[in-house]
Amino acid sequence: MHELRTGLAFFLLLNILAGMVRVIRGPTVTDRFIVAQLFGTTGVGVLILLAADAGRDALRDVALVFALLAPVTVVAFVRFAVGSDAAPGSDKEPRP
Amino acid sequence: MDVLLDGVLALCLPLLAWLVLRTESLSQAVVLFVAFGLLSALGWARLEAPDIALVESAVGTGLTGALLMHTLSWTEETPPDIRARGRRRPWALLAVAASTLMLGWAVLALPADSPGLGPLVEARREESGVKHPVTAVLLNFRGYDTLLEIAVLLVAALGARAVNPRSERPTPDAGDDPLTGELFRMMMPALLLVAGYLVWVGDHGPGGAFQAGAILAGGGVVALLTMRMGPPRLSSWQVRWALLTGPMLFIGVAVAPLFTGRRLLELPRPYAGTLIFVVELALTVTIAMVLLMFFPGTRPPRAGAEGEP
Repeated sequence: MHELRTGLAFFLLLNILAGMVRVIRGPTVTDRFIVAQLFGTTGVGVLILLAADAGRDALRDVALVFALLAPVTVVAFVRFAVGSDAAPGSDKEPRP
Repeated sequence: MDVLLDGVLALCLPLLAWLVLRTESLSQAVVLFVAFGLLSALGWARLEAPDIALVESAVGTGLTGALLMHTLSWTEETPPDIRARGRRRPWALLAVAASTLMLGWAVLALPADSPGLGPLVEARREESGVKHPVTAVLLNFRGYDTLLEIAVLLVAALGARAVNPRSERPTPDAGDDPLTGELFRMMMPALLLVAGYLVWVGDHGPGGAFQAGAILAGGGVVALLTMRMGPPRLSSWQVRWALLTGPMLFIGVAVAPLFTGRRLLELPRPYAGTLIFVVELALTVTIAMVLLMFFPGTRPPRAGAEGEP
């Protein structure tokens, strides 16, 4: 069972590696940020798989904290993205 | 399988760190930093250091990522020309290489399997009042360090307040704002529960005031960003109380033994566990407020800055 879980964790880590392509090449910041969020979700999965081993219960708390704080970064990102969009939009009047 | 997993992690971490340093766009660097924090937390988890993984996930990645992301909205995206700077300072490369070599040498020179202070802590853990050795060291055996650390945090909050730009009192025009307060209302009960849980679990496992404070501060940040609430102000007495409860209580607990002929910070053994729990609860409030004070408020529309030619 331990082998299977580690194998699954390895597979999830390979997913993160695949996502790295988008992080490096991603044309816009949003692409990169979405991938970083995907990393977060995948990482929570890896942590939960690792936590199933005996004596590693604390990793479940780590996964919990990750999952709880991920939306905070998303909110900050949305505020940043909206702010930077709204800023040129708010003074869209033709410049002299 | 374990070797594969660790190997891929070990490869990914330096790669991501290099990408963070290499990228010339600030926003990309922040996104990469968040990804790097996640992988380093996984690395700590693999190294059987769940305490560090927990702090990394709460403070290092969760809150710092949000702080960097939020700070981006205050910056103008004009990254410095890193390559030109690198060309100008070739000795920087030499210095980095030299310090890497020295660090590597120091690590290799460590005795291979020295138990360190572990057995000593293990032997006296009964007296500390808590079951988790890390909490025992932080709040009982080396409580002095933690006390001074909290004082440093207060200074850091003052520094952040001095540096943070003054944001205007935000106007509650929620009309076209995509961020509503709904998220805060949904998240806050879970955040409170988990913060309380983390303080409680510090007694017998990884957890504690810092992690719980980071969770609470996360809730505060969501409130700051979605409810168009102003950042906490030092002039408000609630903020001052939140900042001072932890240190005052800790100093009280530290000084009280002096009156009964004991030494500073010598917690009476039967009450040690309870005292540590109460101090950690108070410290959670303080740490949450300190971390929240690092966040500037929402940036006012850039009409003034953009208007200039």
